[in-house]
Amino acid sequence: MKPVHIGADFYLIAYLVYIPVVLVITWYVSHSLFKNGKIFMLDIFRGKQDIAFATNKLFETGFYLMNLGFAFATMRIYHYLDSNRALMESLSAKIGGFCIYLGAMLFLNLFFFFRGRKAAKLRMAEEARITNTVVRD
Amino acid sequence: MNILAYAIYLTITFYITTRVGRVLFKNGYVFVLPLLENDEKLTLFVNKMLLTGYYLVNLGYATAIIITWHNITTWTYLVQSIVEMIGRILLILAGLHWMNMIVIHNYGKQILSSHHKT
Repeated sequence: MKPVHIGADFYLIAYLVYIPVVLVITWYVSHSLFKNGKIFMLDIFRGKQDIAFATNKLFETGFYLMNLGFAFATMRIYHYLDSNRALMESLSAKIGGFCIYLGAMLFLNLFFFFRGRKAAKLRMAEEARITNTVVRD
Repeated sequence: MNILAYAIYLTITFYITTRVGRVLFKNGYVFVLPLLENDEKLTLFVNKMLLTGYYLVNLGYATAIIITWHNITTWTYLVQSIVEMIGRILLILAGLHWMNMIVIHNYGKQILSSHHKT
């Protein structure tokens, strides 16, 4: 890591814009995802509220840690910033790239939710079948 | 300026670590309980030990990597290095957290299947 000396002002502005934007985006996505995640978790854990909400919270924590960690760890701008134009261009690339990454993570999480729900439904159907056959026998 | 950077960095990391630790401690209880045959006292104890271990590892690591820091001469570099360091710590935390979840998930499956057998 070498300190940046030339055009340092532009870099500082870029970072000071990037950090709050990233925080707000991550908060918003995670908030809306896990507000609705509770419904999935209740399905997956068959209405056992304590374990469902705990899992939801743990997933939320992991989501925050991973995405904010990624956002912060990749914050450094390697382009040479000497004008407002260059600042806007690289900042847009950074924030846009992070948004795409976040979208991918969002869909990955949704995929896990749906898969968990499907597995839980299959299990329930299987158990119902077993009890039915036992009763019939 | 390095001292300032260390102060900011340590404050933020300690805050994040303790906050995440609280969340894990509170929500992990439900998962550890069935693993220890629903013994509440033992679960609380194990959970506390896990929390302590987590604090030791994380805070120890966060404090130990301070030595890798370069000379800070500008505000830009101050912001950049602090944020990057915190980002790295967060990524490590995330990795540990997901690993933990997978382990707990697998244990839960084993217990479920052994219950089904008996």
